Amino acid sequence: MATGGTPEAIARLVEQFNRLPGIGPKSAQRLAYHILRVGDEEAEALANAVLEVKRRIRLCSVCCYITEQDPCGYCTDDRRDQSLVCVVEQALDISAIERSGGYNGVYHVLHGVLNPMDGVGPEDLRFRELLARVQGGSVSEVIMATNPSLEGEATAMYAAKLLGPLGVRVTRLARGLPSGADLEYADDVTLLRALEGRQAV
Amino acid sequence: MAREARTFRAEGIVLRRRNVGEADSIFVVFGPELGKFEGVARGIRKSRSRMRGHLEPLTFSRFLLARGRTLDVFTQAETIRSFPRIGGDLERWAAASYYAQLVDRFTGEDAPHPELFELLFVALEALNDGSDPGSVSRYVEIHMLALAGFELQVDACAACSARLSPEETLLAPGAGGLVCRQCRPGAGVGRLVSVPAIKVLRYAARASLPQFTGLHIPGEVAEELQQALAGVIRYHLDRELPTARLARELSPGSNDPATPGADTL
Repeated sequence: MATGGTPEAIARLVEQFNRLPGIGPKSAQRLAYHILRVGDEEAEALANAVLEVKRRIRLCSVCCYITEQDPCGYCTDDRRDQSLVCVVEQALDISAIERSGGYNGVYHVLHGVLNPMDGVGPEDLRFRELLARVQGGSVSEVIMATNPSLEGEATAMYAAKLLGPLGVRVTRLARGLPSGADLEYADDVTLLRALEGRQAV
Repeated sequence: MAREARTFRAEGIVLRRRNVGEADSIFVVFGPELGKFEGVARGIRKSRSRMRGHLEPLTFSRFLLARGRTLDVFTQAETIRSFPRIGGDLERWAAASYYAQLVDRFTGEDAPHPELFELLFVALEALNDGSDPGSVSRYVEIHMLALAGFELQVDACAACSARLSPEETLLAPGAGGLVCRQCRPGAGVGRLVSVPAIKVLRYAARASLPQFTGLHIPGEVAEELQQALAGVIRYHLDRELPTARLARELSPGSNDPATPGADTL
């Protein structure tokens, strides 16, 4: 039954859009009415793309990266150093590191960071898979590439605590001033880290 | 006609952050003058953002905000005091997050509460100065309850005001503190606490934080107090805070915290 004059199908679509992150009620309405206006083909393409991604994409059983084949391309690439594992918060971070062109190891995706304020504890992250991987014995170094935020740091420390007893080397990405930054705007913690990590010119 | 200023200054400790949109975050801040307030910082998640480090959770900063229609917008931020040692130690970080969450849960928006701010600030300072996180946490819990209007009555029976005899006594959050033997039946849920634990509770209520953290509390009493106070806070908040659980799991006394789901491995 239609409510308040809006056809039910539209209301349902608005509601679904509204659930997406960053989409408020107004944007949801705009998107829904846009879909109404576009041709059948375009709408179908969108619907199929949504379905496909849910059907075909799963998590790699080794590194928890999103993949169509299990294990993923990174984990099966023998040109990569399989003993070097870079741990990231989310799958998107891998693209950022790949873009830098300076890394030739493999990855592990935690799918989040420790954030007890939002109820995310260690058991909600992919630490168990990481632990199993390191226990397997083929890993020589784990690079913690979580964000340099308080939560990211805590997650890195947690990983060090978890993996330390296994004798694997756990390292952390360096912290300091971003290129092109102004010293006068830097916060104390960043400056402190930059001083600690200074290097010979 | 008084026109409201477009910008205003504020100070406070960042309690938490929530990401919105492409690169924005909403921050909840607790300040000595404004109480709890929130605002959005645009583009803060980009590495070129100048405010980023000054708006990290658990940092005490000075801000300039612009009045917005729905949310105020952070336009400048400068650190007044950061607590680097808290960010560098898992147990201290978990404890500090717990205090921030307690403040968040026990306060409403725009209600100034300078004493509560002072408590949070000295607690973060103590953690940063190397005080035992367990002791700081107990002190914070006891005083946070008092400042939020749930002060525990520990000197006399909370129900009949009778003197308490020196024996194991029921701590009943519903009754508001310790209750004597006679009042026990009507006091509701609670937990029996030992004489040494009662002494620590009384001392904590009177002492300053540095005095309290100077006190040596034996392991079993500390454990008992942790559980008793956790029970009181759970009673008032209706649930255990996730940060409280993490702080407990990461404290040195607990059994191997470093193995998530160890039973299923």
